[in-house]
Amino acid sequence: MKLELKNISKNFHGVKALQNVDFQLQENSIHALLGENGAGKSTLVKILCGVYQPDSGIINLNNKQQSIPDPSASLSLGISAIHQESVMFDELSVTENVFIGNHITKSNGLVDWGLMQDKTNQLLKDLEANIEPNEKIKDLSIAQRHIVQISRSLIHDADIVIMDEPTASLSQKEINELYTIIRNLKKQNKSIIFISHKLDEVIEVCDEFTVLRDGELIKSDSIQNTNKDQLITYMAGREVNQIFPKNDVIIENEIFEVRNLFKKTQFKDINFNLRKKEILGFYGLVGSGRTEIMKSIFGITKLDEGEILFKNQKILIKKPSDAIDQGIVYLSEERQQLGMTGLMSVKDNINMAVMDRNSNFYVMNKLKEIKNSSAMQEKLNIKVSYWSQLTQSLSGGNQQKTVIAKWLSTKPEVLILDEPTKGIDVRSKSAVHEFMGELVEEGMSIMMISSELPEILGMCDRVVVMYKGLIKDILNVKEASSEQIVKLASGES
Amino acid sequence: MKKILLNRDFILFSIILIILIAVGFANPLFVTPKSISDVLTDTSILIILALSQMIVILIRAIDLSVASNLALSGMLISLLSTVHPELPVYYFIALSCVIGTILGVLNGISIAILKVPFIVTTLGTLSIYRGLIYFVSDGKQVYSNEFSEDFLALIHVKFLSLSFLFWLAVLVFIVIYILLNHTRFGRNLYSLGGNPDAAKYIGINENKYIIMAYSLSGFFAGLCGYLWVARYSVASTQIAIGFELTVISACVVGGISVMGGVGTVLGCVLGALLIGLIRNALPAVDISQFWQLAISGAIILLAIIINTKTEQRKEKTIMVEN
Repeated sequence: MKLELKNISKNFHGVKALQNVDFQLQENSIHALLGENGAGKSTLVKILCGVYQPDSGIINLNNKQQSIPDPSASLSLGISAIHQESVMFDELSVTENVFIGNHITKSNGLVDWGLMQDKTNQLLKDLEANIEPNEKIKDLSIAQRHIVQISRSLIHDADIVIMDEPTASLSQKEINELYTIIRNLKKQNKSIIFISHKLDEVIEVCDEFTVLRDGELIKSDSIQNTNKDQLITYMAGREVNQIFPKNDVIIENEIFEVRNLFKKTQFKDINFNLRKKEILGFYGLVGSGRTEIMKSIFGITKLDEGEILFKNQKILIKKPSDAIDQGIVYLSEERQQLGMTGLMSVKDNINMAVMDRNSNFYVMNKLKEIKNSSAMQEKLNIKVSYWSQLTQSLSGGNQQKTVIAKWLSTKPEVLILDEPTKGIDVRSKSAVHEFMGELVEEGMSIMMISSELPEILGMCDRVVVMYKGLIKDILNVKEASSEQIVKLASGES
Repeated sequence: MKKILLNRDFILFSIILIILIAVGFANPLFVTPKSISDVLTDTSILIILALSQMIVILIRAIDLSVASNLALSGMLISLLSTVHPELPVYYFIALSCVIGTILGVLNGISIAILKVPFIVTTLGTLSIYRGLIYFVSDGKQVYSNEFSEDFLALIHVKFLSLSFLFWLAVLVFIVIYILLNHTRFGRNLYSLGGNPDAAKYIGINENKYIIMAYSLSGFFAGLCGYLWVARYSVASTQIAIGFELTVISACVVGGISVMGGVGTVLGCVLGALLIGLIRNALPAVDISQFWQLAISGAIILLAIIINTKTEQRKEKTIMVEN
């Protein structure tokens, strides 16, 4: 089936996720959709799946204009997506996951388990997959889950299969098996949209490619007409076009160091240090272990091995309060779930982590609390309509600032930021950046996890590049090229 | 083999056997066929209500109003039977089921359409339905001599020396087993509870299933309304008070996850049987009456801990051996 998207645009609260993007999927073709995090790939996929509606633009299927108002419409048009995040039913069997929402019934109205079992068995055999139909999904590996999802799209008779980073967490052997399956799908006249960060595999598997950057179409062509270096340039080759107001500060001596951190199945051989007034970036694909390391340092999860040094002294962090007492704080990526209490006022949120300092013998000192919160509100420019406004009614940017204010109240020396500007608008973004600059000038040291390369390049002094739980390299940002970083982060070289 | 040993239903079954054997040693009279048949009869209503509660818990909800629903349906048909003793008993059973279903649909509508959270809705109807009993009965009881003979006779029918109540529970078990395992409706309940977002992706209408689940819960509460009144030959404002908590514990002991989407019909029945067994066994082994409630709670908690600890989840891995 031939799919054509014309002039697709989509905005989220003023952020342009897609701008006039054209996309063409030929019949019987494997089409790579490429771009950095935030380039607009998943927005495009979600439009095809009926999760988002485009603000403008048209979708043509076999030269007929179609609208995709909801996910089931997408399925009935023959589009099926294999998502990274789980859309499976962990507690149900393979057979049932394949037939979910589509159970075969006998003439008496009862579900025909026997037939469904046989069909699943046949399907898995055709895909040359070694999976038992009555196993539960929770007992399968990630590769096997992908195969179950592929089987599901075959049962739905999908003509277009979208695969969102299907090889992201697979071993080489599993990847090769998946390639075979993808090629078999192509033989069955299916078209495939293949999203991946691994350019070698894109060149090996795909027929065509489309590169998006900042929500715009950069290039669409046949794979034969390009090579890996060119693709990297298409993806990363932008100038740093946002303003990153970081002043040059004189970086002082080492303040924090980790040695040989190890956690089973998560990360190993993690060694790095942080110097006073430095911003140290952590770049890598989603799921490369960056957040897991920070959670262990902050005492949320337990390290298996390794030591942490703070001001040249070995310290033991067993729980988050140990880290806070030392002057190390961690701002989670999931600020709504883990960073703030939406039903409390901004003032209460800001004071949450310093209750002991603002109280006399367990009785809260209201004056101290108000002093602290108004100082913070002013410093970070948190905009509230009235003093007791609930945090959940603020914009994403102001919420993020509130979380930052909460942690700054503890007067930390080392600040760990996990994706501090994810999902907030451009203006708040640059406010957060500006503020980070001020903090290091005042003497703080920052570790920042970010999946946005421009942010890393603009803000950081050095960057730790991670891939699958290992540090690939630690680069001086001034000397590193974006191509080099992208290469390292995708496990190449 | 290992798979069978770690099966939750099997473990639960073993726990029941162990308790039965232990009680048998302490008081051999307890394990005679007659006594066991009494325990089964006594647990039948609990089994039926646990099975219907399971349907609701599967979709990540809870129905706290079942006991009040049961008592209200039971009271209404009892009052009718005092006025019209000539009506056949099947008429009363059907009527009780209809009343129960209506009360259940009201819960469903409040949750699905009016979007009142299920806890709030069923806590509210728990009081409302109970309060209505005072209203319709003026706070009076219906005593055994006021029921017609026909009304009370059915419950004492025996087949293969096991009671009508027991066979009815078996029937309900079979019906719900088929409903949950062999119909699209049942399977969709599992997917809706297991992963609501993904269920919407495949086009399952959540509201419809909420209303259906609560209607079924109401239907069986209505059925048990008749059973309760007929078995104890009394209808009052106080019958089955607090019984919803016993029902929910039976489900939890039986491995029905309150997180939704997990649990077997057999497990649910075993959960109810375990609770029924404990309640009947403790008085038989000479444990002080003052201790019984606390001990039965402790045994239930222990059963749940043993049962859940056997299931270990795999950890997400980042590093891959190449």
